[in-house]
Amino acid sequence: MNLTRRDVLKSQAIAAASAAAGISAPAAAQNIVTERERTELQWNKAACRFCGTGCSVMVATRNGRVVATHGDAEAEVNRGLNCVKGYFLSKIMYGADRLTLPLLRKRNGVYDKTGDFEEVSWDEAFDVMAEKFKATLREKGPEAVGMFGSGQWTVWEGYAASKLYKAGFRSNNIDPNARHCMASAVAGFIRTFGIDEPMGCYDDFEHADAFVLWGANMAEMHPILWTRLTDRRLSAPHVRVAVLSTYHNRCYDLADLEMTFTPQTDLALLNAIARHIIKTGKVNTDFVDKHVNFKRGNPDIGYGLRPEHPLEQAAENPDAAGGFTDMTFEEFEEFLEPYTFEYAEELSGVPARRIEELAEIYADPDTKVMSLWTMGVNQHTRGVWVNNMIYNVHLLTGKIAEPGNSPFSLTGQPSACGTAREVGTFAHRLPADLVVANPEHRATAEKIWKLPEGTVPGWVGAHAVLQNRKLKDGEINAYWIQVNNNLQAAPNMLEETYPGYRNPENFIVVSDAYPTVTAQAADLVLPTAMWVEKEGAYGNAERRTQFWHELAPAPGEARSDLWQVMEFSKRFTTDEVWPAEILDAAPEYRGKTLFEVLYANGNVDAYDVAETEEYPNHESDHFGFYVQKGLFEEYARFGRGHAHDLADFDTYHQVRGLRWPVVDGQETRWRFREGYDPYVTEGAGWDFYGKPDGRANIFALPYEPPAESPDDEYPFWLVTGRVLEHWHSGSMTDRVPELHKAYPDAMVYMHPEDAASLGLHRGSAVKLTSRRGDMLTRVETRGRNRVPRGLIFVPWFDANQLINKLTLDATDPISKQTDFKKCACKVEAA
Amino acid sequence: MPEHHLSSLVVHAKPDALDDVSRRLEDEGCEIHARSEAGKLVVTLEAPHQRELSDALTRIQLLPGVLAATLVFHHVEEDEETQETPA
Amino acid sequence: MRYLGLKTLAAGCLIAGIAVAQQSNISTLRMTDPLNDEMPPPMRPVEETGLRPARNYPEQPPIIPHDIEGYEVSANYNRCLSCHARAATQRSQAPMVSVTHYIDRHGQVLASVSPRRYFCNQCHVPQHPDVPLVNNTFIDIDTLLTMPEE
Repeated sequence: MNLTRRDVLKSQAIAAASAAAGISAPAAAQNIVTERERTELQWNKAACRFCGTGCSVMVATRNGRVVATHGDAEAEVNRGLNCVKGYFLSKIMYGADRLTLPLLRKRNGVYDKTGDFEEVSWDEAFDVMAEKFKATLREKGPEAVGMFGSGQWTVWEGYAASKLYKAGFRSNNIDPNARHCMASAVAGFIRTFGIDEPMGCYDDFEHADAFVLWGANMAEMHPILWTRLTDRRLSAPHVRVAVLSTYHNRCYDLADLEMTFTPQTDLALLNAIARHIIKTGKVNTDFVDKHVNFKRGNPDIGYGLRPEHPLEQAAENPDAAGGFTDMTFEEFEEFLEPYTFEYAEELSGVPARRIEELAEIYADPDTKVMSLWTMGVNQHTRGVWVNNMIYNVHLLTGKIAEPGNSPFSLTGQPSACGTAREVGTFAHRLPADLVVANPEHRATAEKIWKLPEGTVPGWVGAHAVLQNRKLKDGEINAYWIQVNNNLQAAPNMLEETYPGYRNPENFIVVSDAYPTVTAQAADLVLPTAMWVEKEGAYGNAERRTQFWHELAPAPGEARSDLWQVMEFSKRFTTDEVWPAEILDAAPEYRGKTLFEVLYANGNVDAYDVAETEEYPNHESDHFGFYVQKGLFEEYARFGRGHAHDLADFDTYHQVRGLRWPVVDGQETRWRFREGYDPYVTEGAGWDFYGKPDGRANIFALPYEPPAESPDDEYPFWLVTGRVLEHWHSGSMTDRVPELHKAYPDAMVYMHPEDAASLGLHRGSAVKLTSRRGDMLTRVETRGRNRVPRGLIFVPWFDANQLINKLTLDATDPISKQTDFKKCACKVEAA
Repeated sequence: MPEHHLSSLVVHAKPDALDDVSRRLEDEGCEIHARSEAGKLVVTLEAPHQRELSDALTRIQLLPGVLAATLVFHHVEEDEETQETPA
Repeated sequence: MRYLGLKTLAAGCLIAGIAVAQQSNISTLRMTDPLNDEMPPPMRPVEETGLRPARNYPEQPPIIPHDIEGYEVSANYNRCLSCHARAATQRSQAPMVSVTHYIDRHGQVLASVSPRRYFCNQCHVPQHPDVPLVNNTFIDIDTLLTMPEE
């Protein structure tokens, strides 16, 4: 059938007229249905599918379809509100191009990397996939297989995948896209506090007297938290809002103090604030004496580029980036000496008196301050440092871990905390802050998992950017991507991402609900059940774990990531993937499938499928036990009694989430503070128990320049990011017509004078070019973002405008998180 | 450049005149996509010029049995846009 | 305008239900392979229909059927409320903000719009005249109820 633009327009015309007439096209309908049982909807709670805020939504289903969604009035997080994306959750599963069968590149009936996609059965898909993984493991070993997962995995999906790789394939080459998003926050927490995730919670919004945004465009990226902040600001006239960013964004609409700074100079601003606190005698000396150590971080740590890059060659400490030494308070004061307001102004372009005004907000002992940050801080080649330095100013003043005094690291993804971090799906982590490099931690994991000693390898696997480099270099050859669109998301696409996917040596598998550009670059595409098509759990930024039931069936033969991981594990036996010495020492594991040793292990299969009766549960029906409950309860053993306590599985289906640690049925709102946190030693006041001596670290860290700055040839800073209406790469939101039409195409935000000086104006067609690639787009000189001269902003949601062709694959050398917020580019008329 | 106008209308007819009105609409070049027993019709009308479209709308409004005819959607573009593209 | 034609082509494939098999390009939101770029379509102003399309479900925030470029919504002034606030609607004949907007976080009804609802464009967005890249098969409840149960 041929279909023209005319037909599409006509169908729109018909739809519009039908809507106006109150007629459902094409069949006529009565305009009101009065029989109660026919109009009754089933309403259930679920966590929103998008950002790290973790709003609870109510989902209405009827005849196996989602027909409505709205904000959950009973949920503390959002109290009935959603943002525009959340309100359109009902439509994200219904893009007309949902994948319903596996697609394999074939030629002449067999797999061929250069072939075209053909629909195949799950059996054929897994046959080819298993053959590729087995051959890779046999020929090159566990370091040649890899997986890229997500902070959008449900808790048990990330946990099951992590087990399959770390214990089954004995490969730590598994990393989540949270690496692009939260890794610097994690390393910041571990370095300062020795334990991951915020000490405070969203209740801080209603208690703070001042809010400071350090590179977080909350008005667009965390809209519901922005409603809480707005509520507080407009309800209590004394409250002040300071917004720091490299360009003027929607948060400035509420700002009492706005500070647009030159990229990278947040380092200098924070040191200037710390210096001011000390110079004006506003250090909380009692707190500092009892609860803080001072450390000097290693400087000159490089930029996480390939080791042969001149910047890495020139760096002093690229291999000891996270290192630090002891220092005294006096030495810290001396270290800060150069960071006067004037010096900070010189670097940042922010007037000294404004920096002082901000410093006073922190210094004033009577002002409770909530600092908030996300990607502006985390996607930064010194992102870990900036995290540490925000804690510095809170620790110097003792403004921490109590209502309203809260350095708060916001998360990007719905389960960056719950899955990526708490489950430990990073290449270096295990559940509950354990790490693979620590033999005791591995032993703990092996014991809980009922696996032989030595199963979990001690080498740190490849992180996100390194996985792409290794794919390109042919060092990782069998690779599985779930719940993310990394070809669109990863930096330096043309040089470092795409070549690895199309490397003839490699077999790339992509599990997704929709055919993304990443799927396009794959060899095998697996159709995936999404969101409420499966039972799920997410953990949000305030340590709140939330569950939902399966509410609607997935289309066609789409299967959840959990089903895919577990079913795939059946195709491997221990003899094929474990070395002889492990099996010699533990012969009872011989000949078993990975499914048997990882999932039918007496823990995961401990709960009867009959418990799932009330709701559909495709995975449990298939595997014959309550899969999600078994996985969760096994996983929860890691954290119970270790300050990561989770409640029992069934409780989470009843409540609107609970903030861990959950001890004796009580959630914890403020950690490390006596009276709120049951883990704090009595009489201690504060107890940073993540560190052996209970003291948090204040770090002396310098300003260092970024990896790439504008020059004559590439005169603009390029900043990338999200927009309110789209989630990440748009694979869900760009299939919702209302969201697509709200923001149909990406564009480059430019200062009007910069545009004029290049002979451009609003709407001009331009080519953006960096040293790595180029992209076509159009100029926007107005609108929601007003950028300073010499800087441009481009959102990355648009599959037709792959801005990551331009970005630089520089990372924070400590966290390995990419810096998507600064590289150099030029703009030309196209 | 020739233009192409595409519009949709809601025509409200007397319920007992629905069949008759439908026939007359088709004579005007309308396509009927949906109708309700209450007398509402969803129709599309295409024309090369704005004037033809507005003339047709006026005639429809005056048809016997028609209570009201309302333009809901109107789209115009250069004609090459709507050329058939093989799928 | 070739680009728009191509977008339509993709939607066409999907509407026609043609299997994606046998096609080298499966990425429906992108009309070229990842290496080649096409110039995005010209920027178009938002639709000013003034019409209120039916919502997909009662809880959906209505879209904005007019342009809002340059509207100030800041701590000092809210241009949207200058027409949509209760007291302004007689003069403006604009729809009044929903009564839900008068309810605060604790469920108390306030005399004016709750500050938590202050920034309108967190939920309400205008629409550009753009053909969606991919059709959406969401079925609203009224339509669903007229369909035979499976």
